[in-house]
Amino acid sequence: MSDHNDVHLEPTPGERFSKFLKRGDIRETLAWAAFYTAVFVVLGAYFYPKWMPTVMSTDMKAIERLMVVFTFISAPVCGFVMSIFTQTLRHRHKGDTPPPDGPMIRNNRLGVAVFSGVASLLTLTAVIYGLIELNSSAEAATKDAPNALVVEVTGNQWVWSFNYPSLGVESNMLNLPIDRPVIFRITSADVNHSFWPVQLGVKADANHLATTLAQTTPTKLGTIDVKCAELCGLYHAYMETSGEVMTVSDFNNWVTAQGGHSA
Amino acid sequence: MTTLSQQVSNRPIPNPKKSLITRLNMGTGLIVGIAFALATYYSMQTTLDDATLNFQRNNQVLLATMFMWSIGFLVGIGAFIGPFRWLIGKDLTAEEQLYLAGDGQGIKRYFKYCTDHKVVGIQYLWGVIAMLAVGGSMAMMIRTQLAQPGAKFITPSIYNSLVGLHGITMIVAMIIVATGPFGNFIMPIMIGAADMAFPRLNALSWWVLFTAIPVLCSAWFLGGIPTGWTAYAPLSVQAGPGMNAFIATIIIFAVSTAVAGANITATVISMRAKGMTWNRVPIFVIGATISVALAVPAFPTFMVAMIQTAMDRTFLTGFFDSNVGGSGWLYAHLFWIMGHPEVYVILLPGVAILMEIVPVFVRKPLFSYTAAVVGFAGIAGLSVLVWAHHMYMSGWLPMLNGPFMVTTEMISIPTGLIFLVILGTLWNGKPWLKVPMLGVYAFLWNMLIGGITGLYLSDVPADNYLHGSMYVTAHFHYTLMGAALTGAVAGLSYWYPKMTGRMLNERAGYISFWFVQIGFQILYLGMFIAGAEGQPRRVSDYAQMYANSNRISTFGAYLIGTGFIVLLWAVIHSWRNGVIAPMNPWGAKTLEWTVPYPVPLVNFDTPPVVTSDPYGYGKAVK
Repeated sequence: MSDHNDVHLEPTPGERFSKFLKRGDIRETLAWAAFYTAVFVVLGAYFYPKWMPTVMSTDMKAIERLMVVFTFISAPVCGFVMSIFTQTLRHRHKGDTPPPDGPMIRNNRLGVAVFSGVASLLTLTAVIYGLIELNSSAEAATKDAPNALVVEVTGNQWVWSFNYPSLGVESNMLNLPIDRPVIFRITSADVNHSFWPVQLGVKADANHLATTLAQTTPTKLGTIDVKCAELCGLYHAYMETSGEVMTVSDFNNWVTAQGGHSA
Repeated sequence: MTTLSQQVSNRPIPNPKKSLITRLNMGTGLIVGIAFALATYYSMQTTLDDATLNFQRNNQVLLATMFMWSIGFLVGIGAFIGPFRWLIGKDLTAEEQLYLAGDGQGIKRYFKYCTDHKVVGIQYLWGVIAMLAVGGSMAMMIRTQLAQPGAKFITPSIYNSLVGLHGITMIVAMIIVATGPFGNFIMPIMIGAADMAFPRLNALSWWVLFTAIPVLCSAWFLGGIPTGWTAYAPLSVQAGPGMNAFIATIIIFAVSTAVAGANITATVISMRAKGMTWNRVPIFVIGATISVALAVPAFPTFMVAMIQTAMDRTFLTGFFDSNVGGSGWLYAHLFWIMGHPEVYVILLPGVAILMEIVPVFVRKPLFSYTAAVVGFAGIAGLSVLVWAHHMYMSGWLPMLNGPFMVTTEMISIPTGLIFLVILGTLWNGKPWLKVPMLGVYAFLWNMLIGGITGLYLSDVPADNYLHGSMYVTAHFHYTLMGAALTGAVAGLSYWYPKMTGRMLNERAGYISFWFVQIGFQILYLGMFIAGAEGQPRRVSDYAQMYANSNRISTFGAYLIGTGFIVLLWAVIHSWRNGVIAPMNPWGAKTLEWTVPYPVPLVNFDTPPVVTSDPYGYGKAVK
């Protein structure tokens, strides 16, 4: 046993790594990074749901979840950047003469590789998560289509109008029954508009002589604000209307009152 | 022993009485330009067929007038003397070329067709300052209107024009904000060149751009533009006479950009000093070159889109007007094929300036030069494959939304490398927080927010909610203003001593920095909230529920305005009264700090020889 004491072995990667973690500057960086990551996680989880309007459809729910998850995915990057930001500011050079020379570090291949690898993995996570959400919303749309209520939406400088062909109703209000899939067939009578029922998490451009499709399922009773999200000329700001997600019986009553036949 | 620059300045200047070249300047340009414009306007008014529809005829007359003004101005200032000599089988004499370089003409050379790259740089600098001032004032008016709900300040028509003209003025200014002043003044010295590769084209690029400024201003007097700077068809096809000014501006600007881009690229490729191999080129030069090289293929699509819009408006060609068989989607594609590379054309030089600054102020080498180059090249390469992420909701082939989402999010990876280079350079350093260095920290925070909000926007389901909202406006201001303009302002305070011979007033620099950056965070925090709450962008009025976030934003905007007024004062005041700058006030190692002020006509008395990259700061580590 004592024979081996004099032999200087190269440290194993594990030993080098644990020694690396014991360095003061590395510990400071990791501590700040953990702190800022936590701050961004909390901000994302708290503020997006707070700011964004009432979730009233399946799609809007997915959007809000996505915003929060994306904040979580990017939080470690923010943590890392802000950590070095804070740490170097704490050690700033004061005075009117240039600072002393720092260490001449021109590159660190392992560092670049680890950083690029982690950044790519996080990006990949975001990409895959987004593609899954995109696919599931497309699948839901196909599955729900046969049962869906069709609403023809027309943008006209500067009003929205809604036609329910299966019910024989035309209106300037977007009223919808709860829990029934709805397909919007969107077009424009003049320039480009963008149909945006805010609480439903749906947006699609209204193009002249073309029809755009969008689909969702309202899941909560309440008021819908309908806006135009594409600059369409003079009164673009005022091209808004509203509507309501109603119980099925209220919706049928409204349809009858409008002179239509209930579904 | 006389130096090279003394020899050059000792040559005789041609007799001013005899040469036409010596009589031409901005004044003769204005006279000939206005004469051409008036002649075109009145001759077309009287000779055009009365049967032509009034709308088309009006557009024909206005467009022709604007282009003839531009051509007339260039004739009057002497831009075509060289080409004309070639036509008759001659060329400019050496004396005339020396005269064109502005040798010994003092302040007058700034108002002439001057081929000295340093003069062109200063011309660009003041052009950019003027444009930013006009665009910034428009922003203040927009925020004043939005300070409270109810549209109490200006009418929707004026508001829409302000939004569009603010947009295009700022986009044009931002495209040239770094490559114009610093790419022309500093870059040739940085690479050890005596001038640009094509000095006359250099002067041409500036004066062509100059002719676009009055054209753009005329939009205001022709009833404004109702379309925003995106100028989507069919709205643009139906828009009033002000739209012609927008179209003409873009076409003229695209010519200027193509000329400048080709010139800068050629200069960097062919005129580097002896020994300056590609891995020894300062990183600003790499960033600026990739930026202008990216602009060379991007802008022609916008130019073509504008020519087609002009033809739709003048001859009813119907490229984009669905009423006669055209497609608005075609326009949107052409626009965004320019539009998305264009944001990186703006961003890259600003970032590259900051990369130039960090090593100097922490006294460490630039961390991983290769990663920086790969980052720039990666961004430029991917940026031409992402344009349709602006069209997720347009109804154009939803099937392709997925692929465009993937390419867009991939840009995070080279952008991450850019961050890594700056962070790695800062790492374990002791930053010297002079005004230029503050910009690096502002960039890190602003680009972080801009980048991450970009990630949400690139995602198709999330974009279903965020597209076309104030959230988008806040996002791109974080990247274009928070990152790119911050980089350019840092560059101004960094290179100011070399460009003016004096130091920029430091106290004013600090005050301006804090006003601008704090105001910036307040403004766009409010705008992110308004967007998340569901306020569409480009609205002249909004519902009561957005009142708080908008009030916050307007307060922030006024702080920014105050900060920039302080900066403008500092730039003007220090130019005349500032402390005389030493040759190398920051102790930097790039070549521009080895030449005195005023920089000699041919920059270097002896052509420099480069033996290493300019980042050899710091002491060796074991």
